[in-house]
Amino acid sequence: MKSLYLLIATALLQSCGNEKKPETLVKSENAHDAPPVKYGVEGSYTGDFKPKTYKPGTADLENNRITIFIDSMNGEQAFGHSVVAGNERSFSGRFTRQGNNFIVDAREPGDDPYDGAFSFTLDTATKTITGTWTANKKDLQITERSYVLRPRAFRYDPALSLPEDIVGMSMPGTYNDDTGEGEMVTEDAIRFNASTTLLRSSDVENMYKADLELIRNAIYARHGYSFKNKRMRRIFDNYVEWYLPFSTNISSRLSETEQKNISLLKRYEAHAAKYYDAFGR
Amino acid sequence: MLLAQRRPSPARLLLLAAYGFFCWLMWLIVAQYFEGRSDTAFLGIKQEYVRLPFYLPAFYIHVFASVLALPAGLSQFSSTLQRRFPAIHRFNGWLYVASILLLAAPSGFYIGLFANGGLSSRISFCLLALLWFWFTLAAVRNAIQKRFSAHKAFMYRSFALTLSAITLRIWKYALVATLHPRPMDVYQVVAWLGWIPNLLIAEYLIFKRIRK
Repeated sequence: MKSLYLLIATALLQSCGNEKKPETLVKSENAHDAPPVKYGVEGSYTGDFKPKTYKPGTADLENNRITIFIDSMNGEQAFGHSVVAGNERSFSGRFTRQGNNFIVDAREPGDDPYDGAFSFTLDTATKTITGTWTANKKDLQITERSYVLRPRAFRYDPALSLPEDIVGMSMPGTYNDDTGEGEMVTEDAIRFNASTTLLRSSDVENMYKADLELIRNAIYARHGYSFKNKRMRRIFDNYVEWYLPFSTNISSRLSETEQKNISLLKRYEAHAAKYYDAFGR
Repeated sequence: MLLAQRRPSPARLLLLAAYGFFCWLMWLIVAQYFEGRSDTAFLGIKQEYVRLPFYLPAFYIHVFASVLALPAGLSQFSSTLQRRFPAIHRFNGWLYVASILLLAAPSGFYIGLFANGGLSSRISFCLLALLWFWFTLAAVRNAIQKRFSAHKAFMYRSFALTLSAITLRIWKYALVATLHPRPMDVYQVVAWLGWIPNLLIAEYLIFKRIRK
């Protein structure tokens, strides 16, 4: 099925006359999805990555959204990778079968401070992955997380838009208790879809930085980009239902409209960050 | 204001220090443009205009000439300088007048045609440039014809508009700090607020000090 999508995607790309980078696109998709399906459970599973064991006083206990890819299974070996919080990590380990269930115990390579071990049960009847992840480093703020993941197919859809209920939220990390002020998300953030509409200066010049940032990052989110940036992660992981973290490198997949909008938005964001509240214009 | 007092009082020195401080801030803003990139600072949000034939030259002429008119203008109001060193007053005056009439005002009018914030701010900035030119020209003509109270009155007006470079930015800073308006909304407001009150204050001072 995946390879069928790929064929269609490639054919579409070529027929559109967009000869720019179809090769990179196919390659990177292959890296994720091409391994042969032997057990019918290979594929991707997405859900909340919830803090389970953490140090007292840990400020940041929001869920991250994680996608676990079961890339291939062979004999008693399982290979896969996870994408969460802007981090794409492979894992490998052993699995056993118990009735409908695959029980997997796998480790990440160990050369990243946030590496650890996955231990989960994949229920083939409900197509659900349930389990925990334990950090290698015991001095991290959060040393254990739990998750229940469901298969959710990723498909780039430029028409997806940000949900209305983010309007009025204060941007994560900007709220100041003393002044009672923070950077608010306004209705501007949902006014434009920068994947489908080529924006003009006049569309964005009167916008606050937070809204510009959201409009731009929604482009990356539609491509399944996993955010390292905490502000964006909080919003997309927790409030955007359609969002699936699938990759940490999507730059080669951006359309021309998206690329133009990104550079326009970045310019206005940079200007807002530096000059909005400064003595100057 | 610091215009007509005879002896340096603490208040006057404080105003002078503040003036020096703001001139220095203006200099810092202008100094960014020495790197010559067409997307530096303010130019970053003027990308659809920087390719127009005269936009960048006009912009650079405007900022560099205006930042010189600010300090050049102030010393002209010193009565000591006027009485005891009239040659310096005249020489400095010519610099001030020439930098506005030949450089800052015409270039200001041209870039005002493409000002941010739409029609209202474009009208404001172009009107500002025209008035600046007119007041400065009238002031120098009156000086040549030795009509000194008219010369003085027009220089009050001219300098009030020169000062708008600073007052506009003070208004913007204050409005953003207190009300957090949207960037172009505040721009439209300060386009007018930057110079109209200045001119009203100048008219008041002219009325009090010169017309009496």
